[in-house]
Amino acid sequence: MSHIVQIQTEVRDPLAVRSACDRLKLPQPTQGEFKLFSAKAVGLGVELPGWRYPVVCDTASGQIHFDNYGGRWGEQSRLDAFLQRYALEKASIEARRKGHTVVEQPLEDGSIKLTVQIGGAA
Amino acid sequence: MSIEIIVSPNGESRVETKGFAGSSCREASQFIESALGKRVGEELTPEFHQQTASQHVQQWDR
Repeated sequence: MSHIVQIQTEVRDPLAVRSACDRLKLPQPTQGEFKLFSAKAVGLGVELPGWRYPVVCDTASGQIHFDNYGGRWGEQSRLDAFLQRYALEKASIEARRKGHTVVEQPLEDGSIKLTVQIGGAA
Repeated sequence: MSIEIIVSPNGESRVETKGFAGSSCREASQFIESALGKRVGEELTPEFHQQTASQHVQQWDR
């Protein structure tokens, strides 16, 4: 039996942020206060390739702060890829924490499917 | 029984449960859903309703 839920990602887990950076071969994130052009943000700063300012993850609120000037100071696709990887790492961490096995499979449209086996299946 | 999570290229997730009995699928995937972020929509599949309906029938039979 089945149901389907749509979820908007909130970045709340520093461990999953670090894991996403590892998988994407990004520098390890650092905690602190970061300048975003004229604004400032506090949180876990992630350096994306080609981005002028870091993406700052406020893991207390789940919000991310960035200023890529509509794509001129950093490609949106880099941020999207980070958020996709974060969601995959977070789901995998939670599933493994409960003892479930996880299988990852890329799909043709660029999505990635994670299958979590429940109930003792190997 | 399994939970399928499809993460789109922009980081949005779609969580689908498969093979659970009745509404237990909701409890089974709750830990993943709350970990990922904010729920923005839910769709109950025909199988969910069929199972719920058959459970009601069984209760009436007793």
